[in-house]
Amino acid sequence: MIFELLAGNLTHGLLLGGVYGVATMGLSLIFGVINVVNVGHGQFIMVGAFVTLILFTALGLSPVIAIPVALIIGMALGFLFFYTVMRKLIKAPELASLLATFAVGILLEELAKLIFGADFRGYYWDVGKIILPFTTIPMSKLYAFIGSIAIALFLYFWFSKTRSGTAVRSVIEDSEGARVCGVNVDWIYALSFAIGIGITVMSGVLLTMFIPVGINPYMGGAYTLKAFVIAVLGGLTSPYGAFFAGLIFGLVENGAYTLFALIPGVAPFSLTVSLAFWMLFFLLLVKPTGLLGKK
Amino acid sequence: MKKNIVKYYPLIPVLAVYLIMFLIGFFMPGMWQMVALLAFYCALGQSWNIFMGMTGYVDFGYVTFIALGTYGMSLGITYFSQFEWLGMGIIVIGLILAMFLAALAALLEAAIALRLRGAYFAIACIGINEGLRYFIEGAKIWGGSEGLIFFGALTQSLGRETVNQLTTFWADFSVFVIAALAAFLNMHYMRSKIGYALTAVREDEDAAKVMGVNTTKYKTLAFLTSGLLGAAVGAMAWGLKLGHVYPGDVFVIHYTIECIVVVLLGGAGTLLGPVVGGLIYGLSKYWLAIIMPGFQLLIFAPIIIIIIVAFPEGVIGVLKQRVKRTALEKYIV
Amino acid sequence: MKKRIVLLVIGFAAVFGFLLATNALAIDKVVIGHPACLSGKYAKAGEQAIGGVKACIDWVNNVYGGVLVAGKRIPLKYKYYDCESKKEGVTSLIERLITVDKVNVVFSAYSSGLTLSGAPVAERYNMVYMDHGGASDRIFQQGFQYIVQTIGPGSKYHVGTLNMFDHFDPKAKKIALAYEDSEFARMTMGGAEKHAKKLGKKIVFMRTYPKGVTDLTPLLSDMKAKKPDIVLGGGHYEDGQLFARQMSDLDINVKGLSLVASATLPAYYKALGGNIAEGVLGPSHWEYGVTFSPEGAMKVGLDWIGPGQDEFVKLFKKALGKDITPDYHAAEAGAQVLAYVKAVENMNSIDQDKVRASLGKLKFMSFYGGWDVDDKTGMQIGHSMVDMQWQKGKRVIVWPLEAATGKLIYPKPKF
Repeated sequence: MIFELLAGNLTHGLLLGGVYGVATMGLSLIFGVINVVNVGHGQFIMVGAFVTLILFTALGLSPVIAIPVALIIGMALGFLFFYTVMRKLIKAPELASLLATFAVGILLEELAKLIFGADFRGYYWDVGKIILPFTTIPMSKLYAFIGSIAIALFLYFWFSKTRSGTAVRSVIEDSEGARVCGVNVDWIYALSFAIGIGITVMSGVLLTMFIPVGINPYMGGAYTLKAFVIAVLGGLTSPYGAFFAGLIFGLVENGAYTLFALIPGVAPFSLTVSLAFWMLFFLLLVKPTGLLGKK
Repeated sequence: MKKNIVKYYPLIPVLAVYLIMFLIGFFMPGMWQMVALLAFYCALGQSWNIFMGMTGYVDFGYVTFIALGTYGMSLGITYFSQFEWLGMGIIVIGLILAMFLAALAALLEAAIALRLRGAYFAIACIGINEGLRYFIEGAKIWGGSEGLIFFGALTQSLGRETVNQLTTFWADFSVFVIAALAAFLNMHYMRSKIGYALTAVREDEDAAKVMGVNTTKYKTLAFLTSGLLGAAVGAMAWGLKLGHVYPGDVFVIHYTIECIVVVLLGGAGTLLGPVVGGLIYGLSKYWLAIIMPGFQLLIFAPIIIIIIVAFPEGVIGVLKQRVKRTALEKYIV
Repeated sequence: MKKRIVLLVIGFAAVFGFLLATNALAIDKVVIGHPACLSGKYAKAGEQAIGGVKACIDWVNNVYGGVLVAGKRIPLKYKYYDCESKKEGVTSLIERLITVDKVNVVFSAYSSGLTLSGAPVAERYNMVYMDHGGASDRIFQQGFQYIVQTIGPGSKYHVGTLNMFDHFDPKAKKIALAYEDSEFARMTMGGAEKHAKKLGKKIVFMRTYPKGVTDLTPLLSDMKAKKPDIVLGGGHYEDGQLFARQMSDLDINVKGLSLVASATLPAYYKALGGNIAEGVLGPSHWEYGVTFSPEGAMKVGLDWIGPGQDEFVKLFKKALGKDITPDYHAAEAGAQVLAYVKAVENMNSIDQDKVRASLGKLKFMSFYGGWDVDDKTGMQIGHSMVDMQWQKGKRVIVWPLEAATGKLIYPKPKF
C-alpha cells in the first residue's frame, strides 16, 4: 500500500521535477554569464503562463504551439530589458541589477493585472490519461516532461556544439579572458540574458501544462523561491546542474509526503516542503558549491 | 578625545532625520503611523546594512530574524500574560525571547552558512527561512499555521488604555530607538577594529585570512548584531504592534528584498543610505497608494528603475562622491 | 553646512505638508473608509468588495435618498486606499482615514490577518471597525470593543453542507477533509469535523496542505487510497481550482465534493474548462439567485433595507464599469454598508459608541440575507449560508431547500 503510494508520488515528482529543472535553467544561465540575481524570475514564468492561456482560450491553439511562441516573446522581452536597463548596470555594483529585476518583476505583475485582471484562470487541454497500476498520469503532464527534456537537450547541444554556445561558456569561465580572445562579450551578455529569459517564459508554458489552473498575475513569487533554491542546489552557474537539481527537488517534494504521513499529529505536507528547502542546506554542508558547481 | 567625537559626526544627519520624522509624527495629526512605517523601513535597512555593507555578503534570509523576533515577542506575551504580577515585564520577557531566538538562529546560520561564499550563502539562507516556516506549520509548534493571537491576552493583563498606547505609540517609538541604535552601532563598527577587519574581508577574504585576521569571528559578530537588531524591529513593529503572528505572514522573503531595495536606493555600505532609501521607498509607496489606489505599483516600479539607472551606487553613494574634499565630507558616510 | 541641513528640513516639511494639503475636511456627509486590497494576493476579493460597497452607496444616495440623521438626509461618501494586501500598509492607511480623512466608519481589509492588523488602530481611535473579510472566530475573542462582523464565522461554512449530504444520502458515511493550512480553512475544518461526528459520519481522512502549494498530488493520492464518499476541503482560490483539477487527473471520483471560497466564483468553471467543475459544490454567504425579498423579511418579522438582488447586480456592474457578476465578497461588503446605515438611523446619531451599540442590537434583512451580531463580541450570528452547485455552467443553489433554485445532482458526475 505504502509502496504503491510512494511509487505514484515519485512518478509525479519526477515529472514535476523535470519542469522545475527547466524553470530554473534560465536563472542559472543569467547568473552564470552576467552575475545577475533575477528576483523577478517567477514573474517571467507568469508571462509564459498567460501566453499559453491566451493562445489556448482566444485562438484555440494547443500549448505545444505556445512553447516556441513563448520562447520568442521571452527572448524579445529579454533583449528589450537588457538594452534598456541591464546593460547600464553591468558595471555597477552587483546588487544594483537585483533592484532592477525586482522592479521589472513588479511591473510585469501590475501590467498583467491591468490587462487580464486579478482573476484566477485556467484552461482544459484534454489529451487523455495513462492509467498505471499505482497511479494515473494525464498525458499533458507527460508532454510537459518530454518538452522539458527536449529543451534541456537543446540547450546542452547549443552550449557544447555551436559557436555562440562555446562563447557563452568561455564568458562564464572568464569574461576578461574571453574578451581578449576576441569574443564579443557584450553581445554574449545580451544573447544569454535573452535566452535565459526566453527559457524562463517557455518554462511557464510547461508549468501550465502540468498545472493548468490558478493562473493569475501574482502566481510567480512561489516559483522564484523554488528556482533560487534549485539553482543553488545545482551549483548556481551550471544550467544542467539546475536541471538535475530540479528533478531531485520534485522527487523530494512529492516523495517525502508518504513517509511523513506515518508520523501522527503533524501536518505531513508542510514538513515535506520544509524538508525540500532544508535539503539544500544539508547538501551545501557536504559540498559548498552545489551539485555540479565548480570551486 | 576630540578625534573620538569627530568620528561620530556622520551620525548627525542620520539622527537629525529621525528626530524630524519623530517630531512630524508626534505633532501632526494622522502622520504617526506613516512615520512609523518609514521608520520601520529605515530601521530594517540600517540593520541589514550592518552586515551586508561591511562584508559584502547578501543575506537573503534576513527576514528569518525579523520573524523570529516577532515570534519571541508573541510567545512571551502569550505564555507569560497569565502571571499578572509580571505586568509590563511580559514585554521585556518577549524582547529577551526575541533576542534569544534570533541569536540562536544567527549563531547556527553563521556557524554553517558563513563558510559558504557569495550567492551560495545568500540562497542557503532562503532555504533556512522557508524550511523554518513550513516546519512550524508542519510540526505544529508555536501554534502552527493557526499562529498566535495575543491581543486579547495583552488587554487582559495590562488593561485597554495601556495596550492602546503600547500598540499604537510605544511599539513604533521603539522602532525609532532601534533605528538610531542601528545607526550608532553601524558607525561604531565602521570606525573600529571590526570595521577594518571586515573591510579586509570584503576586499579579499583569503588575503585577510593569511594576514592573520580572524575573519570568522568578525563576520559572526556583524551577522549577530544585524540579526538581533532585525529581531528587535520584528518584536516591536510586527509583534507588539499587530498583536498576532501567522508563520505565512512573517517568514516572507519579500521583506528581505524590501530591505535590500531600501539599502540600494540609498547606497549600500553607507550610513545615511538606508535612511534616504527608506524615505524614498516608504514615502513614494504610501503617497502613491493614496493618490491612485490600485495603480501605485505600476508607477512605483519604473521610478525604481529610473533611480537605479541614474544612481547605480545609490543616492548617497553618488552624493558621497560629490562631496569628497568639501566641508560636508565628514558628515556623509 | 547648516544651510544644507535647514534646506533638508524644509524639504521634508514640504513633502509632509503636501501630503496633508491633499485632504479635505468632511462636515455634512458620512464617510466610509476602507484600506482595500486592490493589488497583491487578495486583489480579486478586494475588487469585488469595492464594487459591492460602491453599489450600495449608490443605492443609498440615489434611491434611498441618503442617511437620515437628525431629520436630515445626508449623503454617503466612500474613501478607499490600496493596502497591497500587506499588514504594514493597513495600519498607516487606517490612521490616515480616521485622522486626516475623518471617516465615520472603517471597513476592514480582506482576510483575518489584515483585519487583525488594523484592529488595534481602530480601537485606539474608538472607531467602529466593520469586518467583511476576516472569518476567524478568534478575532472576536480578543476583547476588541469596536469590531463588528458581517461575514459569517469560519467554523460554520461546511455545517450546512454536511446536513445536506445527510439529508440526501444518509448512507454516505465516509468523509474526507482536506483543507488549506490557513487560519480560516482550519476553522472550517474544525467545524466540519465536529459536525460530521455529531451526524455519526466516519472521518476517513483529515489533512491540511500548506498555503501557496502548487501540486497536491501526494495528498490527493493518499486520500484516494482511503476511498471517501464525500470530500470537503479547500481554502482560497488557486488551491480550490488545483484541488478539483488534480482529483480529475488522478481519477478520484467521489459522490460529493464541496470546496470553500474558490468553487463559488464565476471564474472557477471557466478555469477548469467546464466539465471538471460540473457538480462541484461550494458553501457561500450569498449567491446570485438567492431569494431574499422584502416580503420574505416581513414573514420572519425583520426590517428590510437595500436594493433587490437584480438592482444590486446592475449597480455593481455600473460601479466597476465591467461586466462581471458579483460574488459573496461583493455582497457582504455591500450588506455592511446597509447595516451601517440602518444602525445610524436607528440611533439617529453618528457617534461611534452609539453606532456600535446600535449595531449590536441591529437585526435586519437585505438582499444578502439576515444580519445579526452578538452584542458583546461583535461576531456575526444571524447570517446563514447557502450551498451552491455547478450545473451545466450555472451556479444553482441546492441547500437549504427553502432557498434552493434547483435540485442537487447526486452523486456528482464523474470527472
